Amino acid sequence: EAIQEDEKGSLQASVDDIISKAKKRKLLEKIKNVRLGMMRHLFLIIDMSEAMSDQDLKPTRLLSTLKLLEYFVEEYFDQNPISQLGIIITKNKRAEKVSELGGNPRRHITTLQSLADKVCHGEPSLQNSLELAHQTLRHMPGHASREVLVVMGSLTTCDPDNIISTISMLRDGNVRCSVIGLAAEVCVCKKLCKETHGSYSVILDECHFKDLLTQHVTPPPATASTESSLIRMGFPHHQLSADKEERPSMCMCHLDSKNSQGFSSTGYFCPQCKSKYCELPIECKACGLTLVSAPHLARSYHHLFPLDQFREIPTAQVGSNVLCFSCQTAVQELNVYICDNCERIYCLDCDLFIHETLHSCPGCASSRQTQQSAKMAGFS
Amino acid sequence: MKLNIDGLLVYFPYDYIYPEQYMYMLELKKSLDAKGHCALEMPSGTGKTISLLSLIVAYMKANPLEVTKLIYCSRTVPELEKVVAELKNLMDYYEQQLGKGKPKILGLALSSRKNLCINPEVSQERDGKNVDALCHKLTASFVRANHKRDATVPVCSFYESYDAHGKEMPLPEGVYGLDELQEYGRKKGFCPYFLARHAITHANIVVYSYYYLLDPKIAEVVSKELSKNAVVVFDEAHNIDNVCIESMSIKITRRTLDKCQQNIDGLSKQIQRLKDCDAERLKTEYQKLVQGLRDANIARETDVILANPVLPDDVLKEAVPGNIRTAEHFLGFMKRFLEYMKIRLRVQHVVSESPPSFLKDCYQKVCIERKPLRFCAERLNSMMRTLELVEIHDFSALSLLCHFATLVSTYAKGFVLIIEPFDDRTPTISNPILHFSCMDASIAIKPVFDRFQTVVITSGTLSPLEMYPRILDFRPVTMATFTMTLARTCICPMVVSKGNDQVAMTSKYETREDVAVIRNYGNLLVEFCSIVPDGIVCFFTSYIYMESTVAAWYEQGILDQVQKHKLLFIETQDAAETSLALLNYQKACENGRGAVLLSVARGKVSEGIDFDHHFGRAVIMFGIPYVYTQSKILKARLEYLRDQYQIRENDFLTFDAMRHAAQCVGRALRGKTDYGIMVFADKRFARADKRSKIPRWIQEYLKDGLCNLSVDEAVQVSKRFLRQMAQPFSREDQLGLSLLTVEQLDQEDTKKKLQSRMQYV
Repeated sequence: EAIQEDEKGSLQASVDDIISKAKKRKLLEKIKNVRLGMMRHLFLIIDMSEAMSDQDLKPTRLLSTLKLLEYFVEEYFDQNPISQLGIIITKNKRAEKVSELGGNPRRHITTLQSLADKVCHGEPSLQNSLELAHQTLRHMPGHASREVLVVMGSLTTCDPDNIISTISMLRDGNVRCSVIGLAAEVCVCKKLCKETHGSYSVILDECHFKDLLTQHVTPPPATASTESSLIRMGFPHHQLSADKEERPSMCMCHLDSKNSQGFSSTGYFCPQCKSKYCELPIECKACGLTLVSAPHLARSYHHLFPLDQFREIPTAQVGSNVLCFSCQTAVQELNVYICDNCERIYCLDCDLFIHETLHSCPGCASSRQTQQSAKMAGFS
Repeated sequence: MKLNIDGLLVYFPYDYIYPEQYMYMLELKKSLDAKGHCALEMPSGTGKTISLLSLIVAYMKANPLEVTKLIYCSRTVPELEKVVAELKNLMDYYEQQLGKGKPKILGLALSSRKNLCINPEVSQERDGKNVDALCHKLTASFVRANHKRDATVPVCSFYESYDAHGKEMPLPEGVYGLDELQEYGRKKGFCPYFLARHAITHANIVVYSYYYLLDPKIAEVVSKELSKNAVVVFDEAHNIDNVCIESMSIKITRRTLDKCQQNIDGLSKQIQRLKDCDAERLKTEYQKLVQGLRDANIARETDVILANPVLPDDVLKEAVPGNIRTAEHFLGFMKRFLEYMKIRLRVQHVVSESPPSFLKDCYQKVCIERKPLRFCAERLNSMMRTLELVEIHDFSALSLLCHFATLVSTYAKGFVLIIEPFDDRTPTISNPILHFSCMDASIAIKPVFDRFQTVVITSGTLSPLEMYPRILDFRPVTMATFTMTLARTCICPMVVSKGNDQVAMTSKYETREDVAVIRNYGNLLVEFCSIVPDGIVCFFTSYIYMESTVAAWYEQGILDQVQKHKLLFIETQDAAETSLALLNYQKACENGRGAVLLSVARGKVSEGIDFDHHFGRAVIMFGIPYVYTQSKILKARLEYLRDQYQIRENDFLTFDAMRHAAQCVGRALRGKTDYGIMVFADKRFARADKRSKIPRWIQEYLKDGLCNLSVDEAVQVSKRFLRQMAQPFSREDQLGLSLLTVEQLDQEDTKKKLQSRMQYV
């Protein structure tokens, strides 16, 4: 029988099966020693049209989306410390930039929270928002990865002009566009993603939504047309003041702000020109130097040298009553996973957890010998 | 891949095969072996064409004496092109596998002059009839004879050079689509149309339209001499009975008769002139007519030509009767007949009578007997030739009348004459029409079944299968229906029977004007517009119903709500307008705005146009598309079917309605990677008699739980379906389930599984 039904006669199982297979395949696709676009400039485009007030995600699509996006923003900066993010909303056939491109997660989260009170109405305009994102991304340096992530609840887009030309403009501008749809597959989104080498996915429920967002946290491989260059970076320490006299001063990030925000005596001082910033990572506005802190860079390490895939073998081959090394429970599934380096056995859930979250094999880490050899394997 | 189909080695040009394709080939081979006919139903998008082609080509290769020719009939030019493309693909595969040893196959497509002509002046014409007329003006034999005498008479250089050299030089083997034929014609300077027409007698595979085989007027010219050992395939044959009936039916209006009058006047002038200058020619013609149509008779007896239903066998045995042998007498005869027809059209009420009573009346009123009437069509043709008329097209009215005369005097059964003094919709305007309507589809197709050894009737929607052999009057060797094997459920059929207010939704005549019903239909549309991406196609039962419903929706503000989500397009009876609407509809689907197309079952949109992928994510069928039952012609046909074939009126009406409904909803799904929602919005669809007539591949997924939904429930089901279908789906997921390799095919348990996918009728 082509399609298996479960006891209730539902066909859900066959779809679930396809999804889990796809997940596993995605992990296998991850190859090491691939150049990644580590310096990401990402615009989040949030649909705020009438369709977002639909209640099929609880409490509404918009609130649910914003909550997950808060999590996403935190996660994003955690995994991509030298990247930047901006937020655009679209409603009533218009697009509006609510948060400029920047590296401060807290600012974006505040913006997201403020969006929750706004009313959703009208149709979205995909074209207008993409154009708006492109206007900013166009000026980003050539070695940076330019990305757009659209969260789209509506099934229609109301555009002033032919969107196909915008899509080819984005492709030429080397902007990678990805879309997460909340309802169904829309042809133009699919086309957008395909042309610009992004990914297109549609959520099944909140849980799946979160999964899909998480996929966008890891940096994508760099496209061939991304320039490669050595980047000069500064590693400023947090100082009370540049010179000995403790005079308060404006920091560069808040020069334009009307209130007294950013006016203090402490901050990060660019090692090259001594401009002051209150947050890292950032690009120095005066001399263009990229300012980061060392832990930031270190956290990007696992993207470049991911943990090796574990070998899949049938449980029966290993023997009866097998225990998973990390969760210490008996393995129920048909297959177990073995780390090639330390030869420890893991269950499917632990395997996914290790590769998705932990990024290091607990078996290898538990003895010095394997720890060393794993490290060497990573670099070779 | 190479397949073993019941001992026959079949080359299949793809690496994987759908299980149902394999089963389809098995069934097809059975009927080829038995030299009998078959009817097969397989969903569209599962590769019917390539299965047919690869099996029959392989069969021809293995048994070159038993099957010499494949005649593939399709409906439209794009479909012809698709078949040719598949054939090319197959031949490429043969070449790649066998190199020089590949079978020598000549395949070609034939279409009208309009699609093939390369004469720079003629091909500029847009209208098919004009192209034909212009072509005839340049290529008729007497025009060319005149040209020899007088070089200023224009002729077509392509035809001339084809006539001089082309006939001896057969087309080299290969596959020729319409473009290739034109290209070959340009290269050699030959006329591609006549080249193709000549070539079909020795080609192995001919791809052309239904009408070349079914319409007696065209079949007479084109398909007369096709070999008997041929396999004939009618693809998309769900409507074949209507094609047969149309090709044998005649409609005569008062305008036709007025034109006939002009034609006859014109002809008599011509004859007078000819008599003055060249009486000899008329005399030879007279002699020939005395000789009779014996030559044709001999040809048919020795089985060289396809029988023509308009020219029945017993006519051939006789000579043309004396009273219409000379040209003047014939014209006088026709004048009398024309006057009689004019009188008959002057009626105040509807008249319905059988051909014998018409003939009797005719004899009493104007003393015209049955016998000379039967020869009218032949006699007119002969006279046209003798008179060397160039503008044959101008005489279409008269030849129509002659055809009518021949048919009415030939067939006592299976036809009905209906004279209506006015159109049903405009009872005040006098507009008399004489319908000479064929009621028996088997008359036109009988010669085809009799002559060719295997006739394959196939389509995506051919349910219920057992009806077709009955109405076409043939005995199939095998009849089978196949379902789609799917790796995921990519169709979502449902019957929406009530609105959210629990008022039943139906297009039943008594309740169709009910505001609540119309509003519920409107709600259904609005709700679906907000949850279905890109394109939605809606079908109404008739233009009138669509107009009244849309007007009501406008007043209820439903159209405004629809337009918030999608643009709205409407099919009209005007072809140009409709194609413009279609173009913009597709554009709106392309660029993400989304669109709704409101159209009519049995209209142009429901038959020929595919709404694959984003062009049709959902199809909504508003009501059951019953044919207009008050029509006199339909009533006569129903009566005839009941008396002759024991088919009850209701059975036939439901059958006809359901096949059109299936056609409509089938538009949305054109392949296994595609997906679509099919909404049957009428509570009557859920009844067993309707439900069982839906094609099996749709019925299979129409679970009981989906048969009595309200609008809200339907929306929930669709939402979930659309989300699931949007998940990434790759070819690997299909492997082993709905795509098989040779090795998988050979396994025993697969074969068992395959059996369950098929059902004999």
